[in-house]
Amino acid sequence: MSSRKKVLLKVIILGDSGVGKTSLMNQFVNKKFSNQYKATIGADFLTKEVIVDDRIVTMQIWDTAGQERFQSLGVAFYRGADCCVLVFDVTAPNTFKSLESWRDEFLIQASPRDPDNFPFVILGNKVDLDNRAVSAKRAQQWCQSKNDIPYFETSAKEAVNVELAFQTIARNALAQETEAELYNEFPDQIKLNANDNGRNRDGDNCAC
Amino acid sequence: MAAQNKAESGSEEMPAATPTDPSAEQKERLIAAVKKEVKQLMEEAVTRKFVHEESGGVTALCGAVESCLGQGLRRRALGLFKTSSTTALLHKIAKHCPEAALVSARVLAAEGAPATRSASGVERRPSAPRPPLCKRGSGSLLSQAPPTSRYLWIRIALFERQLAKIIEHLVNNANRYYERDALVADPDYGSILSSLLVGPCALEYSKAKAPACFWTDPPADELVQRHRMSAGTTTPPSVRRPILNFKRSLNASSDDGSAISTGTGKAAGSSAKDYVESLHQNSTATLLYGKNNVRVQPKDVEEPMPGYLSLHQTAAGLVIKWTPNQLMNGYAESEGIDKSVYWAMSLQVCVWEVVYVHVHRSQASDALILVGQDGVQRPPIHFPKGGHLLSFLSNLETGLLPHGQLDPPLWSQRGTGKVFGRGRARRRPMPSLCESGETEEPEWEETAGDYVFRIVNNAIADREAMRHSLLERAVQSPPRTPRRPLASTSTTSSDSSTMSVDCPPSAGLNGHPPLTPIPHQPVEQAASIELVCSTMRRQIISRAFYGWLAYCRHLSTVRTHLSGLVHPNIVPAGGAEGGLTEERWLAMTDESGAIHDKDEVYRLVYYGGVQHDIRRHVWPYLLGYYEFGSTAEQRVEQDMACRRQYETTMSEWLCVEAIVRQRDREATAASIARLTEASGKLKPSDNNDASEVFEDDCSVISDNPPIVSPEPSENEQKRPDKPVLSRAPSIDEVDNIEMDSERDKETKQNGETDNSDNKELDVDSLKDFDDDDVHLKSVVENPDMRRESIAEIKRLAEGIVQKGDGRGLLCSVDSAHVNGSDFRSSIDENQPSPVQQHTSVIITNPSVDLAASGSPVSGGTTATVSPARSPLGVVREESQSAGASFDTLEPADRHAPDTRSNCVSPASSNGGVYSNELVESFALNLHRIEKDVQRCDRNYPFFTDENLDKLRNIMCTYVWEHLEIGYMQGMCDLAAPLLVMMREEASAHALFNSLMKRATDNFPSGQAMDAHFADMRSLIQILDCELYELMHAHGDYTHFYFCYRWFLLDFKRELLYQDVFAAWELIWAARHVSSEHMVLFLALALLETYRDVILANTMDFTDIIKFFNEMAERHDASAVLSLARELVLQVQTLIENK
Repeated sequence: MSSRKKVLLKVIILGDSGVGKTSLMNQFVNKKFSNQYKATIGADFLTKEVIVDDRIVTMQIWDTAGQERFQSLGVAFYRGADCCVLVFDVTAPNTFKSLESWRDEFLIQASPRDPDNFPFVILGNKVDLDNRAVSAKRAQQWCQSKNDIPYFETSAKEAVNVELAFQTIARNALAQETEAELYNEFPDQIKLNANDNGRNRDGDNCAC
Repeated sequence: MAAQNKAESGSEEMPAATPTDPSAEQKERLIAAVKKEVKQLMEEAVTRKFVHEESGGVTALCGAVESCLGQGLRRRALGLFKTSSTTALLHKIAKHCPEAALVSARVLAAEGAPATRSASGVERRPSAPRPPLCKRGSGSLLSQAPPTSRYLWIRIALFERQLAKIIEHLVNNANRYYERDALVADPDYGSILSSLLVGPCALEYSKAKAPACFWTDPPADELVQRHRMSAGTTTPPSVRRPILNFKRSLNASSDDGSAISTGTGKAAGSSAKDYVESLHQNSTATLLYGKNNVRVQPKDVEEPMPGYLSLHQTAAGLVIKWTPNQLMNGYAESEGIDKSVYWAMSLQVCVWEVVYVHVHRSQASDALILVGQDGVQRPPIHFPKGGHLLSFLSNLETGLLPHGQLDPPLWSQRGTGKVFGRGRARRRPMPSLCESGETEEPEWEETAGDYVFRIVNNAIADREAMRHSLLERAVQSPPRTPRRPLASTSTTSSDSSTMSVDCPPSAGLNGHPPLTPIPHQPVEQAASIELVCSTMRRQIISRAFYGWLAYCRHLSTVRTHLSGLVHPNIVPAGGAEGGLTEERWLAMTDESGAIHDKDEVYRLVYYGGVQHDIRRHVWPYLLGYYEFGSTAEQRVEQDMACRRQYETTMSEWLCVEAIVRQRDREATAASIARLTEASGKLKPSDNNDASEVFEDDCSVISDNPPIVSPEPSENEQKRPDKPVLSRAPSIDEVDNIEMDSERDKETKQNGETDNSDNKELDVDSLKDFDDDDVHLKSVVENPDMRRESIAEIKRLAEGIVQKGDGRGLLCSVDSAHVNGSDFRSSIDENQPSPVQQHTSVIITNPSVDLAASGSPVSGGTTATVSPARSPLGVVREESQSAGASFDTLEPADRHAPDTRSNCVSPASSNGGVYSNELVESFALNLHRIEKDVQRCDRNYPFFTDENLDKLRNIMCTYVWEHLEIGYMQGMCDLAAPLLVMMREEASAHALFNSLMKRATDNFPSGQAMDAHFADMRSLIQILDCELYELMHAHGDYTHFYFCYRWFLLDFKRELLYQDVFAAWELIWAARHVSSEHMVLFLALALLETYRDVILANTMDFTDIIKFFNEMAERHDASAVLSLARELVLQVQTLIENK
């Protein structure tokens, strides 16, 4: 066993409905874009293993419902998050405006230990569309004003910047790092009888 | 060699049956074994995509092949005696067969480095049935084979993919190596054997210990599939449990962890990692003793299994643990499923609960049996010979100090350490007379003997001794040596049973100086036996009583919690399984078209569903829209009224929608303009600017005061009667104003226009256009076109209002909609240069209006003809013509004034002065609805643009009627199947309305969801406590969030459309037949369907969410539905029986 402890990073994707949270997640994990996604109800997650600084980490990416009314459910899912991804639609200024409240809501519900330094990443999605209404500059400025949150302009449809953004997410989350081993792992197992194959063996072959 | 032995044992059996018959039966058996193993291996490969080299399946296959090859082998003739004969055979044929040569070389290399193949791999998967051959071969012989060489060459040949070819070679040259009646020499069986192995030879074999893709996320499919395989041919687990799964572990009296895990998933419940870690010396527990290969025979296992026995000193006291070897070292090749078997077997015994330690010494092994306070024996622990038992006991004795001790103590012998107290060796029956003790046998260790030790807890004993001192005297207890003063604080728990067991004063409690056996007198013996018996009697009675009491309490909980969930009277299914067919439906309809027997309808639907063809007619009844007993005429009337109502409502919100569209268009234009400007100009945009833009946007959307511009204009005079205007007209005038006032300051920069906001009314909304106009070449046309377009909308709207026809309105909305969506496409065309783009943004608006104005005019007049066109469809059609239409329609005549005057009418005639808040809140809902409608079931062919538009109308109408609730995500999903079934907007809307009466409460604004979760909790706790315990233990997901979507959408996303229909009918009918809360039982059925998979994989909170999300739309709906009905019946009977 090369790496005994696996790192599990819990990432929450938030943002108004229809900004492309599900699409981003699926583009990153499955490298696929579909225009058949339905509105997310409840929550779903996908996992993906990524390598960050020569470490294999498992990202558990949670996709949530976009309508703010469903946020009350969030607390069950937000807890223990290592990073929060806020997504808006660059063609819809309102989705950008609600970033602030998404961020606040997350901090309230997830109540991380160090709210000021909790890693967020902002994604301006749908840059492949032409009717852009939120400039990169404006988004960037907002991000700067919020403790320099990293900002990426992505397109889940055309896979623009998605990989890069999630690499950053993984790295920032890892910095936050809460280690959670997958329970299948057996660290420091006792192997008293390496030669014994588990069948009955009588006699004084005590290995103690 | 095991393989050889086995093979030989196989052939030894043969002669008995085969002197006459050339072992056809045997061959059949051998080949069947190979077939079976090949099949299993291939299955494994399919589910996992690869096979682990050390998988049990591989070993089993190798074993089967080995036996085939070993059968009828001419050992003598070939001189194959000593080593594994088939291996020797391989080396022999290597000369003739290149494949064999390759494998032979590998085998030699591997044997040179014996450590290459880890021993752990040879274990068989416990769940996979052993091949018959291995069963026949005696287990002990098998186990003695050094694992490194077992089937080594076959393994290597398999991994090298040469096995099939080697076998083929053997078959072709069988006469050289095999007897004539051998399997390999048989023309049929030989070729079957080699061809069977072609498949396994093509597989991927992996050496990876824990391939990530396997360990992290086995997909739901695989879990289910694996479960099915391991479960063999058993049927779905619907009927395997008793009605009330009331289980109480016998030993779970005081402490959860203290009990021997009794085959439930409880042991598996504690995480495997933690468990193994707990076996170490660690901060909470000191490891006092550890010994491997201690054998214990767990329940349901035929012979004792070896395992690791350890003795730990914890804060609470001593704990004895025994863990099967499979858990200790076999982790690499085993699977989660298989492990659980072993977890169930592992032992954990708290010493403070043990009263007697029985030791049975025989020639074969030393057995130790622990007897608990409750009189229950723990499984015997067999120590290997060689004083291990003694060292365990001496460690136990040491560990018990200072508060407890073994009674009698071990005999301490100088030089050899502790030995069994000589005088205490007892013969059965247990409390036997003591022996004199003077017979000093030097070989006592070799002799068989039984010993009984009592574990004495001084703290308890002291207290008890005080309490029972009188009693003791009464029963003539022997004179005792005075007790040592001891700490009176008791660290262990003591309950009544502890006391009663401790009280018999037969055995000296404590304080005896070691090495002194107590002289017992016969009188005392008899008294003590009597006392023990009475104690046991008392205990048995009290246990029975408490069991009964607990059961009664349990049932009363069931009743109070669940009686509200189901109807008390059970409606029998008799004859209803066929469901509501068309014939039955027609038969029930009387001549006036009325259906009267509603109970029968409900019953039929509940047990058998509705035939698809008549669903459309039955659903309105089920949802309570049609009254039972209503005549056909009445229903037609009702439909008419409903449609009228629907259309009226629609016309109301369509007006508002037009306003919203207009605002949106402006807002978008504004922000785009702003954006392009920011990028195109050298404007020193900073933070403030960014936020400013936001605010501007806002103002465009919301802050626009709905007042008439006082600006004198020709149009203005024509509408003095309306005090409040919707947004649309105001733009018109704004444009006009602008034409005059703004053109001259074309060259000015934007800052100035911003400043002018305060002075000019409506300027804030204009501003964006101002900016645009500055750059416009064709400014002049702009206002005209815009005016025209808006006039157009209004004219249409008015025409519709006059006709009272909803359809026409749709068209006008279309035209409005085009505006918003179409400029996108024209941007595409004009993309190249920023300037051009800038222009296009502005121009497009009017241009599309113009383009749209062509069709809507006709649409307005011939409203009934033109179908409701979907916005999407329009976009597609219009986008191509957008560019062209701009040119052609440019010289549009200015008939605006006339039409203008009409524009007021839609709003006013509907009583329609709409407050800003209303418009805003509807706008918000509208946008949400559109987002969700567009992505509702796009994979389902029914939802063409046209039908999506219907869905949108249903949603908007509902939301318009329930603005206080508003649109919530999920409503689309609920309405979609209704629309699919009814096809017609108005009736689908009516049904949706009925449906929402119940469903609204499920949404976040209501309370039903929490109630569902709570009910689920009670139900599971009572019907499947095993599952409940798992859920509780693993990240406690008894909050049941993973059921959220199930309840919110009535399982609409979990099932396929066809099944959704059936499930919904069941839910609706159940309200009148068995339960108001059928959803609960459906959820329970879904959970129960997969309970074994969930338990076997000890799923935690995230696992179960993932599992069910992946299983969506793949459930066996009919099985789930019938299980749900069954569960209802279970609860009903439970309550009925009281």
